[in-house]
Amino acid sequence: MVRTRGGFLLVAILAGLVLGFTLSMIGFGDFAQLNAMFTFQDLRMLFAFAGAVGLIAVTFLLLRVRRGTSRIHAGVVPGAILFGAGWAVSGGCPGIPLVQISTGYLPAVFTIAGVAVGIRMCRWANGRFFHLDRGSCGL
Amino acid sequence: MSAYWPWWAGALGLAAVTVFYTLTTDRSLGLSGAWDRILHWREEREIERMDEALADDDALAEALAQATAAEFGTVPARSGSLPAAPVPTAERPEPQPAVPARPAPLVTQAALIVSTVIGGLIAALVSGRFQVRFDMGEGFRQLVTGNPIGMIVILFAGGVLVGFGTRLAGGCSSGHGLSGCGRLRPVSFLATAVFFGTAVAVSFLLWKVV
Repeated sequence: MVRTRGGFLLVAILAGLVLGFTLSMIGFGDFAQLNAMFTFQDLRMLFAFAGAVGLIAVTFLLLRVRRGTSRIHAGVVPGAILFGAGWAVSGGCPGIPLVQISTGYLPAVFTIAGVAVGIRMCRWANGRFFHLDRGSCGL
Repeated sequence: MSAYWPWWAGALGLAAVTVFYTLTTDRSLGLSGAWDRILHWREEREIERMDEALADDDALAEALAQATAAEFGTVPARSGSLPAAPVPTAERPEPQPAVPARPAPLVTQAALIVSTVIGGLIAALVSGRFQVRFDMGEGFRQLVTGNPIGMIVILFAGGVLVGFGTRLAGGCSSGHGLSGCGRLRPVSFLATAVFFGTAVAVSFLLWKVV
């Protein structure tokens, strides 16, 4: 396990490079491919995602990786509904517009701008109105 | 232009990244979380500074002992020693998993985002798919809109939904979908089922109706 900030930085850079490369090679940045996956016309990307989850689950079970907290907080279902709708119309789960930009789809900057506004709105609105525990995924 | 990868190559790639990141850092890979922290970098820097001030283990143990003493009105135990009164075995709580003390350093999350762009660029160049365009491709034009203004509005609005929704749900397709489902967390299965289900419904609407 990495102990230093420099080691962590190296891991993050490597992970990002492989993630961006893989997402692009699978075709997640291609809106037609994405719609074909969500409408079950082409199961290739669906199998790629589900296969990854299966491989990760088996590896984590074998290596006894901790599961972490698993409380179902109040934001899960409404948040996931908003996210799913946004993903289907814009083609962007927060990593995909990055890959779209690097494939040359310049309008994806508007998706990224929207994501940035939405993320800032969420923390602001949650602190002010909802006071939901949003979990700690990604920490 | 080469074809897209077969499903098993994609599965191997995504799994390799997630497993590598998790095992080396003991944290979950999550892009929406990375975005969230970068976009709130002022607050996050402040938290990192406070954490660094507490990084000295002795100082932390001392502070905890003091806080415990204040809470229960007992004399603080000398730091480093175990609690004197053992809890009866039957009532002992489940051992808590070792949660990482601190979130990933902010700079690493920025590096993750930047290198994702570079990784995508390498893939686009290698596969011959790189082409600068002012639209989102034929699929988007047919399924959503061909109007440039409409496209900008929909991309931006969709992005807001994605940003708001992922943070409200506590994760996205990488955090809940890959890391969370891989850890067999019920909350991640629920989130993934709901966002995937919604995306399926909306995609059918785009395909069949609009």
